[in-house]
Amino acid sequence: MKSCEWREKIGLYVDGELEPAADQAFTGHLQSCAECSAAVLEQQELKKAVRVAAKRFSAPPELYASVRRQISPKESARPWLRWSAIAASTVLLAVVSFAWLSRSSASGATVGQLIDQHVIMLASANPYDVISEDRHTVKPWFQGKLPFTFNLPELAADSPFKLKGGKLVYAQHSPGAELVYQVRQHKISVFIFQARDVRGEPAAGNQTFVVNAWQQGGLQYYIVTDAAREDADRLRTLLQDANRS
Amino acid sequence: MAATIVARGNVSGLENKDFEMLAVPLLDGLYNFARWLSGDADEARDLVQETFVKSLKGFSSFREGTNFRAWMYRILRNTFLTSRTGLERRNTQQEDEEGLAEISISQETPEVALIRRANTELVQAAIAELPPAFREVILLADLEEMKYQEIAEALDIPIGTVMSRLARARKQLREYIIAVPGNKRIVGAK
Repeated sequence: MKSCEWREKIGLYVDGELEPAADQAFTGHLQSCAECSAAVLEQQELKKAVRVAAKRFSAPPELYASVRRQISPKESARPWLRWSAIAASTVLLAVVSFAWLSRSSASGATVGQLIDQHVIMLASANPYDVISEDRHTVKPWFQGKLPFTFNLPELAADSPFKLKGGKLVYAQHSPGAELVYQVRQHKISVFIFQARDVRGEPAAGNQTFVVNAWQQGGLQYYIVTDAAREDADRLRTLLQDANRS
Repeated sequence: MAATIVARGNVSGLENKDFEMLAVPLLDGLYNFARWLSGDADEARDLVQETFVKSLKGFSSFREGTNFRAWMYRILRNTFLTSRTGLERRNTQQEDEEGLAEISISQETPEVALIRRANTELVQAAIAELPPAFREVILLADLEEMKYQEIAEALDIPIGTVMSRLARARKQLREYIIAVPGNKRIVGAK
């Protein structure tokens, strides 16, 4: 069989590395060359298979936390504070994990991760990626970082809730937003993910944290806090109203 | 993104904050890459941490306009190559480099369906079987979707080598997937 002159360009074509003119010419050639079009299809399938299979490992949340500590500008300010925070968070994490493990089944993976994330935020010297009390600053910060968007409630001046900031987080390999509110002396984490990316779970908590979960407009929301259950419910209502279309 | 930070005028925190915004989104990909390179969770974690420390230190020497992602992967890989596992690999790498000139995509009829139905475990096993020099090229091309130029920068090799390794990696993956017993039967039955 006479070898096709385009054959050696198949890899370049599949990887999108041909110049626009050559790319167009190759596409035209595929109409008439069964051999090349079969080879292209095969290479594309192979690429797709590798893409799926190669995404095998996810960085553990504590690696994010420790890398952030390492690269944070405030890092060396007061090391004793940092270490005591780490120690405290470790103890707290152990308590939470124990409380969690002792009551939950395998379906607790996401909520457990989010509780961990909330604890990491509490203990972190650098808890936010974006620090602002202005929802018009916090919300746009997530643009381009998340494949979805959401609304934040407008808080009245006398509202007990205050927006503190936000952070990009991951659960079950999917990106999401963590928004931190303060109510009196307590912090509340609101997590938002695409609903199809995480398994929706019943609103469950444990002895230490209140967890409140719901789905709305294709998004999965979680509230994690050590504040009172009523506070979580009120914030939930505010968020639900803000995201009603 | 950088503009808003400049507007705040915090010059001393500027570089670190910039770095954080550029680098942290790469963490998951870097960790995955480190796991594939080293084959070990603890080592991957150390590699990623060391990469962030080194790249933060060197961030001032990073020239704007050059490829940050390729730069980060390059630091990770160099860190790996000087690690114990990396040194072991360097000593056994010689054979992978042989016969790179003689590349052609297989002429036999493609078995697209076999590749399409190959399950994730099979493809992972096929990737794990690849010589490291081929594995890293295919991970950067197909998973990280880097351009050849980026891969060349990240791995510090010429573009021609990127192309030939990629072609060989794909050929080997393809053969591995088609040659597993279950799949062989299907080929034979055809």
